[in-house]
Amino acid sequence: MNMTLRKRGTGMRLTAVLLAAVMVATACGSDSDDTSPSATTVATETTEAPEAPETTTAPTTEAPATTATPTTTTEAPPVGPAQGGDASVGLEAEAPGLRPWEDTCSSPCYNMMAAVFDKLFEQYADGSYGPFLAESISANDDFTVWTMNLRPDVVFHDGSELTAQTIVDMFVVHQTGAQSAGVIASSKLINVEATGDLEVTYTLSGTNAIFVANLSRAPIGMVFAPSTGADEDAVTAAANAPIGTGPFMVDSRDVDNKTVMVRNPNYWMSDSFGTQLPYLDSVTFHPIPDEGTRLSSLASGTVTAMQSLRQASIRDARDTEGLWLFEHQGNNTGGGMFNVTVAPYDDARVRKGLITMSNQAATIEALGGEGISLPTTQLFASESPFYSEAIAAAYPTHDMAAGAALVQEYIDDPDRSDGLAVGEKISVTLSCPPDPTLIAAMQVSQVLWEASGLVDVELTGFDQATHIGMAVGAADGTFIGTHDIHCWRWGSEDDPAAGMLSGFGDPFDPSGAGALNFSNWYDEEAYGYVVEATLTDDVAERAALYEKFGLIMVEAMPIYFSGGTATVIATAEGLGGLDSWEMPDGEAGIGHPSAEGRWGQAYWAAE
Amino acid sequence: MGKMLAVRLVRLVATILVVSFLTFLMVNLLPGDPINALVPPEAQNNQEFVEQLREEFGLNDPMMVRYANWLGDAVTGDLGKSVITSQPVAGEIWRRLPITAELALVAIGFSLFVAIPLGTLSAYKQGKRVDQSISAAAQVSLSIPNFVLGLLLIYVFAMRLQWLPATGWTRLTESVSGNIKSVILPALSLALAEVAVYTRVVRSDMISTLQEDYILSARAKGLKDRFILFRHALRPSSLTLITVVGLNVGALIGGTVVIETLFAIPGLGKRLLDAVFQRDFLMIQGITVFVAVVYVTINTLVDIIYMLVDPRIRKKV
Repeated sequence: MNMTLRKRGTGMRLTAVLLAAVMVATACGSDSDDTSPSATTVATETTEAPEAPETTTAPTTEAPATTATPTTTTEAPPVGPAQGGDASVGLEAEAPGLRPWEDTCSSPCYNMMAAVFDKLFEQYADGSYGPFLAESISANDDFTVWTMNLRPDVVFHDGSELTAQTIVDMFVVHQTGAQSAGVIASSKLINVEATGDLEVTYTLSGTNAIFVANLSRAPIGMVFAPSTGADEDAVTAAANAPIGTGPFMVDSRDVDNKTVMVRNPNYWMSDSFGTQLPYLDSVTFHPIPDEGTRLSSLASGTVTAMQSLRQASIRDARDTEGLWLFEHQGNNTGGGMFNVTVAPYDDARVRKGLITMSNQAATIEALGGEGISLPTTQLFASESPFYSEAIAAAYPTHDMAAGAALVQEYIDDPDRSDGLAVGEKISVTLSCPPDPTLIAAMQVSQVLWEASGLVDVELTGFDQATHIGMAVGAADGTFIGTHDIHCWRWGSEDDPAAGMLSGFGDPFDPSGAGALNFSNWYDEEAYGYVVEATLTDDVAERAALYEKFGLIMVEAMPIYFSGGTATVIATAEGLGGLDSWEMPDGEAGIGHPSAEGRWGQAYWAAE
Repeated sequence: MGKMLAVRLVRLVATILVVSFLTFLMVNLLPGDPINALVPPEAQNNQEFVEQLREEFGLNDPMMVRYANWLGDAVTGDLGKSVITSQPVAGEIWRRLPITAELALVAIGFSLFVAIPLGTLSAYKQGKRVDQSISAAAQVSLSIPNFVLGLLLIYVFAMRLQWLPATGWTRLTESVSGNIKSVILPALSLALAEVAVYTRVVRSDMISTLQEDYILSARAKGLKDRFILFRHALRPSSLTLITVVGLNVGALIGGTVVIETLFAIPGLGKRLLDAVFQRDFLMIQGITVFVAVVYVTINTLVDIIYMLVDPRIRKKV
């Protein structure tokens, strides 16, 4: 797990930023320097941090001051963090609503959702899944029937009890939710039954060995009071007045300004010292879209924490005095894709040739990630149990001659797919949203590709909604898209199966198996490995299958990478707990991937 | 007067129709489907579900039918619901209007408070060093983009001095002192350029007025210069200023988007920008038409103020 707590003592400097346009605030917020959404899901991180990139100042790791370690038996027993205090968090974007089944949500929004709603399962620090609101889960031999037991004595913010019937009633709402309907289908869930007061039985239409991963994320893993989805009025009201079981309750919500959440006095969870959670009396979320002013707000004390998915903000935060930084770089990575239904990208020689000519280090530098982002070669970070050394070795390194040779081979092919004459240069179009760092990164590729003398490169840019729409394409059953070479983002901390099944499925399959296959690349053998990986929960077996898939994909090169996504939650000195939150059994939780903080266990360290 | 108002009302209705139709047309020509913003791709292969959403939001109807339906509802005050948040558009506008209006009015108020004396002084001391200094300062302030000024103000007053918050908004109903603190920096950012414009406008008109015979008469009578300037010269010199201020108020209601985004203020401008990026077409439509209504209404008020300020115009009407 690559998370470091940094405390900086260097002087402040004036930051002058020319603001061209503001990124979309779609509840998506902006997923950093490349576009969202992630097409694939990835599980797990180990507790061992990878080697951090070279930085100008040495990082320091500081333990929370309130946790004392006794040295003799006559000393007082250890105590956990104290209760009290308020936090205010600057987020990249506002959440359009707080309805897990209905509203689009990404990193900024999940900070809010996780404060209000508990999940049935959460991830441990190593990325494996453990019960949270649930107490246990088991499956039959073919993973088509799952039996879950809920934790007793859990109440919602409105005082109603969490029972098995609650989960059944949630399923009714899920089936028509804008966000949940698709997940219900992709998880193969067909029925939910209350087989006891606290026992729930899920029935799936087919094998899904990692169904528990679906219960660890929104929309179907987040537990909400079903009454909030009962009718149209309730659904409308729930956007701003959600009811969950989480550590905080919404006290007031002024959309686009601030959402104030106060401690849930009846929260079911205590820490391992017996202190009832949450520690904080309240947490207020402020959407502050501009990166510079978000950091300024933190530095000036207007807010006490902020989150960001931009390397430039991480760099500036490192240079700002008096902050604690909770940085993370997991599976999510920037990069792009080729639309393999369009010539000349339908030829693997062109794809691989272009990427072999590319220079990931230079691209990372152009993106402002030097010393912050790590180079990537696959969908999994080096700490992931699914990371493959073989794939890392197979991923092309910068080699102008080798790349040019591949492209030349295509150009000299009398049957070249673009219909141009033998010897004519290929023409490519590279598109990213009009962010200055993305434009700089595109220019790196343009310079390298054109330097070969074999490629004419056109650069284009559209706002994020259009950019995504071009890749998604029309809902005519095929979702081919109208893009060429398109900036994109890959990977997440979720289990890889959920995203890879639709991310690499057949885009022409009328059932929608390839709905997230934006590159339109489909290989039957490779996909077979992805499907096989959902039939077992053995991590080593799955890793071997993903490696086989990845080696085929590296040869075909439908997607490429341009450095891991570094994220940060920066706090005022003293506000900690974001990297040390615990699961109910006292084991460490996964921390703060993608700058999603678990504010229910944040605390102010005693001076 | 009645006839003037009737004519203005007809113009208002015509303007609303033209603006609303053109907005509707342009929004529909934008690339991107609102369904993409609302529903993740993996859910879109559920054709029945997508169709249901399309029916719910009227996305399957022909454009003119949708426009007619919208117009029919708008007449009754129903501007529809946001595709993204499912909240009523009219409710969003009323919730955000006080914020943008306060920001605009405070900015203009500050600008006038500074610009009128400066412009008057500049005209009074025409050609002298004071006049040249004021003109030069006006030129410099005009050339500084308001968001750059905003960043400088944040650095100085929020980060360095920690006197004022860097971002956010406290509503007047929540706390008067909090509201004042939250409006100062964004209003100043907007006001600087306006100060420059108003100063030059006042100076220009004042110079003309000061050359009138009645001003000479007033001087001959022995009246003090200050009295002449503010009692006799300022009023007839303010007609252009009133026009410019009226245009500015309308422009600011819809044009504060950059400052609202920079300072994270939940105003109309920011909501409109978000709606454009989200392809939230009903929100775009609603806010645009509302701003058009405000614009035309304010200009009508400007014409009425003209009559109150200048009896010559009142007599003509």
